[in-house]
Amino acid sequence: MMMDVFMRRQALILGTFSLVGIIVLWQVAVASGAINPFFISTPAAVWEEFLVQLGDGSLLTNIAASLYSFALALGLAVAVGIGLGILAGWFRDAEAALEPFIWFKYSAPTVAFYPLFIAWLGYGTPTIVAIAFLFALTPIYANTLSGIKNVDRDLKRVATSFGGRPYDIFFRIALPGSVPVIVAGLRLGVGRALTGVVVAELFGANAGLGYSIAYYAQMLQTTQMMVSIVVIILLGVAMTQALSFVEKQTDAWRTSHDT
Amino acid sequence: MGMAVTSIRDASRRNVLQGWYPKRSSMVSFLSVAAFFILWQVAPELGWVNGRFTSQPSQVFLAGIDVVLHDNFFYHARISLTELALGFALALAVSIPLGVLLGTSQTARYLIDPPLMALYIAPTLVLLPILVVWLGIGMASKVAIVFLGALFPIVVNTMAGMREVDSKLIRAARSFGASKFDIFIQILIPGSLPSILTGIRLAVGRAVLGVVVGELFVSQAGIGHQLNTYGSSMRIDRLLVYALVVSAFGYALTAAVRAIEAHVRTWRPE
Repeated sequence: MMMDVFMRRQALILGTFSLVGIIVLWQVAVASGAINPFFISTPAAVWEEFLVQLGDGSLLTNIAASLYSFALALGLAVAVGIGLGILAGWFRDAEAALEPFIWFKYSAPTVAFYPLFIAWLGYGTPTIVAIAFLFALTPIYANTLSGIKNVDRDLKRVATSFGGRPYDIFFRIALPGSVPVIVAGLRLGVGRALTGVVVAELFGANAGLGYSIAYYAQMLQTTQMMVSIVVIILLGVAMTQALSFVEKQTDAWRTSHDT
Repeated sequence: MGMAVTSIRDASRRNVLQGWYPKRSSMVSFLSVAAFFILWQVAPELGWVNGRFTSQPSQVFLAGIDVVLHDNFFYHARISLTELALGFALALAVSIPLGVLLGTSQTARYLIDPPLMALYIAPTLVLLPILVVWLGIGMASKVAIVFLGALFPIVVNTMAGMREVDSKLIRAARSFGASKFDIFIQILIPGSLPSILTGIRLAVGRAVLGVVVGELFVSQAGIGHQLNTYGSSMRIDRLLVYALVVSAFGYALTAAVRAIEAHVRTWRPE
């Protein structure tokens, strides 16, 4: 009976076990004196510091600042990425005209242009938003493009032979058909936008989770840094999981629509 | 009617493709890039934008020559390349065996998967400041950030590759008396190579990003250090030279791995 439950829930049980194991190991390694707490702090100290930062409001202020930049950047990336992706997916010339720039953007480490944005936009939110926007743009554009471009040919032919105009084909077939691919691009974009916000905040900001990490790093306060690091990792996982869920929903919806 | 129209259009398109002149799409790409450069060159001269902030292609070109001749370019490039190569080699050495272990042992996968996925999804670059606290502002912290950036894509893709290998091949090999080692060398490794290369390609991008971010954050030498120097002194022409060098390097490296990937995919037996 016990064995049976274990076999069915193996993934969950072993996964939880390993996360708990890491925390215990972390605590024990420091408590036994094997590692100096100055370097890695301890889970207990991080938890206490988390409560302190939560209590004095600084954690929420930083989360709010990061999420504000994140939302602006992602919103822009969605608008521009989906807009350009539709344009390039529908008109071949638009795709050809955009392609060299997208390729460049895809292979260039965007952060190399960070000092340029500082020169143009100054320190602070506009630069952070610009960097995160560029981080998130590519996957959203690329997925929208491939979604619109790879529309089911049979569906398109059926629609044409029943007198469907390009307008109908676009709104009734191409756009709905590419929703799952676009959502997949969005999931990648969310992760990259978060990276962009945090990295840009590391370099220069006056609030935000990345700023707080860089700030406490200068004072060599590991515990305070760990709080923000853990929060960022949790935020990244939570947001990506949420979009994976949406992705599955839209995928199921498409399949049921087809049959 | 509809069919006839389609076939005529197809025929004329085929003629265009077979002609001696370049494809329409490459022409459009070329024109759009040319338009971009002309606009960039002309806009500051016409006073549309402030040239101090945008520089010009001609100035960037001259600055490029200047940087190569008088700016210790190769010294900084060597530092950055060393950091990249060390971090990437370490990542390869750790990630492929780890990916093989996770791909072949279910218990190991259940144990390591949750923390692994969390670190794969989360921006590993947030660990940069703490790595600097641990390892100092020299090359070690950049090697570490490259290692962390490159590690997870390779682990995840190696693991996926191991699991995608055709189980019929393994069963056939086993019934002909192949040992576990034979199966590993003859089937698992070649079967998962394309997927491993996909991981390496993703890792290359993250590794180059890691070097640049690491050096921009804090450093005493390297390409990122130079980016920072010229950014803060508003030498946009030199800044762009370094940014373009990094971009071209990232592009070339990714394209090279992509070419190997395509080669391996066609080479793999059906």
